[in-house]
Amino acid sequence: MIRLEGLTKKFGEREAVRSLSLEIARGEVFGLLGPNGAGKTTTILMVIGTLVPTSGDVHIDGKSLGDDPSLRRRVGVAPQALALYEDLTARENLAFFGGLYGLRGRELNAAVDGALEMVGLRDRAGDRAKTFSGGMQRRLNLAAALVHGPDVLLLDEPTAGVDPQSRNSIIELVRSLKGRGTTIVYTTHYMEEAQKLCDRVGVMDRGSMLAMGTIDELLRDHGGDSVVVYHDAEGERKVVTRDPAAEVARLIERGVRSGLRIDRPDLESVFLNLTGRALRDGGAE
Amino acid sequence: MNAVIRIAMKDLRLLVRDKADAFFTFVFPLLIALFFGYVFGGGGGEKSAMPVAVVNEDGGASSKWFVEQLSKAGGIEAKPAETREAGERLVRRGEAAACVIVPQGFEDSTKKVFSGGGMRLEAIVDPKRSAEAGLLEGRLNELGFRLLSRAFTDSSMMNSFLDSARQDVAKSAGLSPLQKGVFGTFFDSVSSLTKEVTSRSTVGDTNDGETRGGESKEGAAGGSAGDTGGGFRPVTVTMHELQMNPHSPNNSFAVSFPQGVVWGLMGCVMAFGVSLVQERRRGTLLRLCVAPITKDQILLGKAAACFASCVIVQVILLVVARLMGVKIGHPAIMAAAVLASSVGFTGVMMLLAGLSKSEGAAQGFGRALLLVLALIGGGSIPLFFMPKLMQQISSVSPFKWATIAIENGLWRADGWDAMLLPGGVLLSIGVIGFWVGRSAMVRSRHSYDYL
Repeated sequence: MIRLEGLTKKFGEREAVRSLSLEIARGEVFGLLGPNGAGKTTTILMVIGTLVPTSGDVHIDGKSLGDDPSLRRRVGVAPQALALYEDLTARENLAFFGGLYGLRGRELNAAVDGALEMVGLRDRAGDRAKTFSGGMQRRLNLAAALVHGPDVLLLDEPTAGVDPQSRNSIIELVRSLKGRGTTIVYTTHYMEEAQKLCDRVGVMDRGSMLAMGTIDELLRDHGGDSVVVYHDAEGERKVVTRDPAAEVARLIERGVRSGLRIDRPDLESVFLNLTGRALRDGGAE
Repeated sequence: MNAVIRIAMKDLRLLVRDKADAFFTFVFPLLIALFFGYVFGGGGGEKSAMPVAVVNEDGGASSKWFVEQLSKAGGIEAKPAETREAGERLVRRGEAAACVIVPQGFEDSTKKVFSGGGMRLEAIVDPKRSAEAGLLEGRLNELGFRLLSRAFTDSSMMNSFLDSARQDVAKSAGLSPLQKGVFGTFFDSVSSLTKEVTSRSTVGDTNDGETRGGESKEGAAGGSAGDTGGGFRPVTVTMHELQMNPHSPNNSFAVSFPQGVVWGLMGCVMAFGVSLVQERRRGTLLRLCVAPITKDQILLGKAAACFASCVIVQVILLVVARLMGVKIGHPAIMAAAVLASSVGFTGVMMLLAGLSKSEGAAQGFGRALLLVLALIGGGSIPLFFMPKLMQQISSVSPFKWATIAIENGLWRADGWDAMLLPGGVLLSIGVIGFWVGRSAMVRSRHSYDYL
């Protein structure tokens, strides 16, 4: 559904995104994982057509946004910054953005009510956005991307700086949208979110796509070995192995029970193995 | 078009909801207009002296003395004017209650005070200020008496008066030789009396200044023309009522409300210029750019909101001006002026937004530049009060052209021809400002290529 071909963006001499190519299928949740400055937001801005690539192309259903502006009606964006009018109420914000997508009258009202319901802000519909907590503003930011019912959703760090309750609410919402068949591009530097939500993940760093695949594929190919941990008379022991299940079976046969656990590789270790740095060491984007 | 209106309506709603922006856009200009209107109307404190334009066409010694004394007269603020037309202009603009003209031949007329005719003056008065004109006529007669009494302490002046009178009597065909002889004897007696008075004054006085001080007292003592002269008036003042332009500023608020317009337009430019920059910073511009609308629709929406608020603030000011008794001389020209001003300042707003890369820059640019342009463009001192050089310098300010356009619709009534220049300048500023601002926004890296 979404195809990126050799996408490159340069700001002067600096290459923010370098020869990025990928395809995202309809209904897929694709995660762009990387530290700040990896090029995730720049990629999103090029996908939605607000940043012109230095080279390369973006196609949605085989069409470019530049060639077919009507494609914009099918795309929703929740920018990393809270793109809201603080002096408008939640309802007014959504009605304004919905109106720009051609919604009118009852259809618009229904869409606004539906979006407010989805993000759990129906009871605060008449309050100005500036009176909302950070988490509520983040949810309203998401609602503004959803109000016109897009089938492609680009979420740029949708849980940045929110409380755990709002984070869970947003994650549940994304799962729900996935269940409805919405194609989602989800940028984050929280690996646990990527692991929970994404069908596939692309690991980005310094403008380049380092690796891409399902979580299992990434863990298998780049996560490194698992560690089986157990306790014996001499204390904690660790066994590094490519086949942790077999190792655990062998230990049980030997009568080892105490403190037995498997430390599997995660996306953090994938990133560490790919870059030699921890995921949250990156600079600002 | 619908998107343009939606964006404009949203921006107007945001403007109204931001208390500071709403205050400086709609309320502050009104307060400025009312304040200056009140001050110009004389309500700002103690009643000041009556301003009177004075034109000396004669240039003789007596006329110079007369003008000098008029300047010193209490309750009168003499404003020298080069020509009759210049003095008339001051009256027409309300800067003077009347214009006193010391006509050519005044010097001669003072000499005929004993042989008929007497001193002749002219005054051009604003018919709306007839009470002040009456007061002025009294003061002119008072000065006439003082000029006359001065002759009794100045033998050369008196001899000049008497010589002129003797010549007139000698030429007169209607007088018998006996009557001519009686007059001759009378003139000789007056001449002797004057010589005696002059010699005593010279002994008693040490300098001319003190002599004038004495005259001043005499003038005060005989201050009432009627009392001293028993109906004799040494000065004949020919009063001309000025054919006032029906659209002249009929009160001080007609002068102060264009000033209010200046501040209102500045408020609009600041509010919307900064709001566009804010949209860029906050990311709402990104949302607008992602929506299925064109970049020009977005910018037109912003411009439409600014245009509408410029119109609204001017209409509010004009409505209040009407309530304060201001007459709108030419409603059609006024409508054109309001529209042209709104177009012009929408262009200024686009320029401000396009050239500013941050809110701080927009506010700094606004405060530093717009404030100065507003001040020299009629925001603090009405344009016609400014010295000529300042009026020329103020041509760089778009506020000046808006002020002239508004004044033209309000009271200048110079007609449609006079609207061509300010209207053309404002429309040009509007178009160029929009184009330059749009280009700057499109090219700016800070816009992320949104526009």
